[in-house]
Amino acid sequence: MANYFNTLPLREQLAQLAKCRFMDMSEFADGVEALKGKKMVVVGCGAQGLNQGLNLRDSGLDVSYALRPEAIEQKRQSWKNATENGFTVGTYEDLIPTADVVLNLTPDKQHTSVVKAVMPLMKEGACLSYSHGFNIVEEGMQIRDDLTVIMVAPKCPGSEVRAEYVRGFGVPTLIAVHEDNDPKGEGLALAKAYAVGTGGHKAGVLMSSFIAEVKSDLMGEQTILCGMLQTGSILCFDKMVEEGIDAGYASKLIQYGWETITEALKYGGVTNMLDRLSNPAKIKAFDLSEELKVIMRPLYNKHQDDIIDGTFSRVMMEDWANDDANLLKWRAETAETNFEKTPAGDVEISEQEFFDNGILMVAMVKAGVELAFETMTAAGIIAESAYYESLHETPLIANTIARKKLYEMNATISDTAEYGCYLYNHACVPLLADFMKGIKTDVIGKGLSVEDNGVDNARLIEVNAALRSHPVEAVGAVLRGHMADMKKIV
Amino acid sequence: MDSRICLENLSVNFDERFRLNNIDWTIEPSQHWVITGTNGSGKSALAAVLAGVGEIESGQLSGLPSRVGLVSFEAQAELIAKELKKDDADIMDVIAIGTPVQEMIFENCADPELAAELVEKFGLSHLLDRAFRKLSTGETRKVMLIRALSSKPDLLILDEPFDGLDADTLAMLQQHLASIIDTTPMVMVLNRFDEMPSFITHVAYLEKDGHDGGKLAFKVDRNDESAFAELYQLLHLKTTDLQVPETDPASKLPALDPQQPLVKLTDATIKYGDTVIVDKLNWTIEPGKHWQLSGPNGSGKTGVLSLITGDHPQCYVNDIFVFGFQRGNGESIWQIKQFIGYVSTALQWEYRVSVSCKNVIISGFYDSIGMYTKSTDNQKKIADEWLALLGMSDRADQPFNKLSYGDQRLLLIARAMVKHPPLLILDEPCLGLDDMNRQLVLALIEKICAGKETTVLYVNHHAEDQIAGIEHYLALKKNT
Repeated sequence: MANYFNTLPLREQLAQLAKCRFMDMSEFADGVEALKGKKMVVVGCGAQGLNQGLNLRDSGLDVSYALRPEAIEQKRQSWKNATENGFTVGTYEDLIPTADVVLNLTPDKQHTSVVKAVMPLMKEGACLSYSHGFNIVEEGMQIRDDLTVIMVAPKCPGSEVRAEYVRGFGVPTLIAVHEDNDPKGEGLALAKAYAVGTGGHKAGVLMSSFIAEVKSDLMGEQTILCGMLQTGSILCFDKMVEEGIDAGYASKLIQYGWETITEALKYGGVTNMLDRLSNPAKIKAFDLSEELKVIMRPLYNKHQDDIIDGTFSRVMMEDWANDDANLLKWRAETAETNFEKTPAGDVEISEQEFFDNGILMVAMVKAGVELAFETMTAAGIIAESAYYESLHETPLIANTIARKKLYEMNATISDTAEYGCYLYNHACVPLLADFMKGIKTDVIGKGLSVEDNGVDNARLIEVNAALRSHPVEAVGAVLRGHMADMKKIV
Repeated sequence: MDSRICLENLSVNFDERFRLNNIDWTIEPSQHWVITGTNGSGKSALAAVLAGVGEIESGQLSGLPSRVGLVSFEAQAELIAKELKKDDADIMDVIAIGTPVQEMIFENCADPELAAELVEKFGLSHLLDRAFRKLSTGETRKVMLIRALSSKPDLLILDEPFDGLDADTLAMLQQHLASIIDTTPMVMVLNRFDEMPSFITHVAYLEKDGHDGGKLAFKVDRNDESAFAELYQLLHLKTTDLQVPETDPASKLPALDPQQPLVKLTDATIKYGDTVIVDKLNWTIEPGKHWQLSGPNGSGKTGVLSLITGDHPQCYVNDIFVFGFQRGNGESIWQIKQFIGYVSTALQWEYRVSVSCKNVIISGFYDSIGMYTKSTDNQKKIADEWLALLGMSDRADQPFNKLSYGDQRLLLIARAMVKHPPLLILDEPCLGLDDMNRQLVLALIEKICAGKETTVLYVNHHAEDQIAGIEHYLALKKNT
């Protein structure tokens, strides 16, 4: 199989990358009609598979689950998930031939084997749906000509997909049609009905392409989301301990700090995150992030370049073929880092203190979000996609670190995310070595010790203007507006 | 506890949204207090002060013991919210299981032996491996109680400890508390005088003080009989004549065939793995016939209700006929929910969105938690009428989540009734309410029962909360 993206002419590559349009509510007037009475068979019953299935069924659609015979015989968790919720469960052979739509909701790594097993069983003219386009775009999976291929990707964890539906709402969702596989021209209608069935249309739907989804998703997860937070955790912890700060305090400041500061990011973007700092601290964070952006930009460019030209997926798949040797070695190393091994101390840290004593962490988040966004848009990915894959998802990963720290985060995120995180971390730690030499506890661990909070007016105006005029803030304000109702009370 | 706890002219601020003013109160080591009062007067707040909550503005607070055991709805909600937060991120694909009950109880436990004994007594042994957040309301409460009792507290604060417990568990708990009165001073928040244990020595009565404050109005020694009787009277204040507001003509529901039952369950069964919770239940609810559903904790009351509302995933593998739909034939849950008004403790916990009180009521027209659509002028007008009825007009634009627990409940009942649903399900609607509001709610339900439009399905533990107009009873048994 050849990398699909690389087979396209440049003109087509650019057109596909730039595909992303926020759809109007009126485009969903037909509801779930296009799927009414059709048989939907879900392959995989993890968090996405189960929760999407629950929503689709509650929207009046016919949903069942196809699992591997071992999962059924051994009554594995996926089998329990499906049967306890009253779904029909069967083998591929039982259910796939009856399906009008097959929903592939297995992990990326299994896609090739799952699709190879499922495709020959699918009936003429049926639809195959993905929630991530890696298999099509990077592995170049060829789908039978008579089949329609779509993607419907809710941009939230499975549990939230369900919780928001139950309360009468939904989560932002990305849909796409694989144009090479739309023989009857019904792909868009099916994808829209599917989005309605999960409730996604109420929270906003982005019409994108398989290519834009893959190239932006990979970039976001390996740089700002997992890579930056992992690298930042290790560097900030080691620095604090080196400067004599209590290790328990340092561990807690980092483990819960990412979550607290990115909560501000979620509500009001980079601007609000920086606004939580005092004026002198804000200027300090701004300056640090500018410095970080200069140092890290070549790394972000390299990640994006490798993703665009297929180097990243080729190298990762080689490691897959080699039983994940590189990845597992690195995963074990993560477990041995001092941050991972030091439990959070039994100290109170107030919400504001996480900002005041974590100026460098704020700077790292700002630098990472903006660099990821800038690099993606420079590569032809449209701003809306870039926003979702950078800023929007950062708080979700921060939440995971708060609960599970790094090792568990890496063990539970997707295969592609973890492999990307590994590459990023390996390159970024040495890259920031010189920068970290100049760092003291005033920006990580203790906070600025200033007698008065005075700053130069002109400088503050400059910094505020720069924060507010960054393009990620403009698109963020619009997209967060659509989701304003999702705000939860903390 | 060796020394007395003293509150001298103490004023405490709770996040700028509530204040307790000028509290003078002394708790001697040998005393056991009940705190009572009207909704929103700060009963839970005063109890929480003893656990170190709130910002002291003036006055003195001395003698607080270091080990305080606290059980309250707020603490329970917080614990549940914390568990729910354990969700996984987008790029993961695992089901978050949550913390098992075993860990909730025995991690950091001061007296594991007592904890083990209580687990047995509360009948939680078979749930130790279950995720905490999968427990029912009553079961989570029991876990909270065990945690507090086995923490060897110097002061035990129990905010409505008996609500939501079935009769056997309640008796067992009262007995256990009675056995530790010599070593452990207790402060309880209670809304029901008749649940007051005999070892209680004193009662503190709180009143509202201004718009967002409360004060300690009376302190009564239990031996003073006449003062005690007056206090009881005070809590039984008569309510004014109630008139249920009209519904919105524009939000009219599709007509139902009056010849058909609203609900018909045939051999309804709920099971998890090999554990059968509800076994072949047959139940028909005809329009206009009000029902009361009762049964001990864990007998599947909530499960049966959620089969009807469509919230239980196993409603698709049961023979269920609701509002003209045979379930599992392509109908959506929103087509079912439009016919139902629903109130429960679980709903209150799920209602964690940032909306105004008025919008909470209006959301009843949309069956949503929070508002995601623009409301009409007429819907707003109707919401205002309900707010007036509840005596909450001045709070129309306040955020729902800043209200006291009891006030939130009243609003959710208004939300359920706003569309005059053919079926109104009230799952322990009085849980956590004080006597006065309990009377108000029960009077409201009686009014609804007397009307022709709405059939009531009422679930409760308390036999004394009888409602005129309900003549059909279904008692579920625990399946062992």
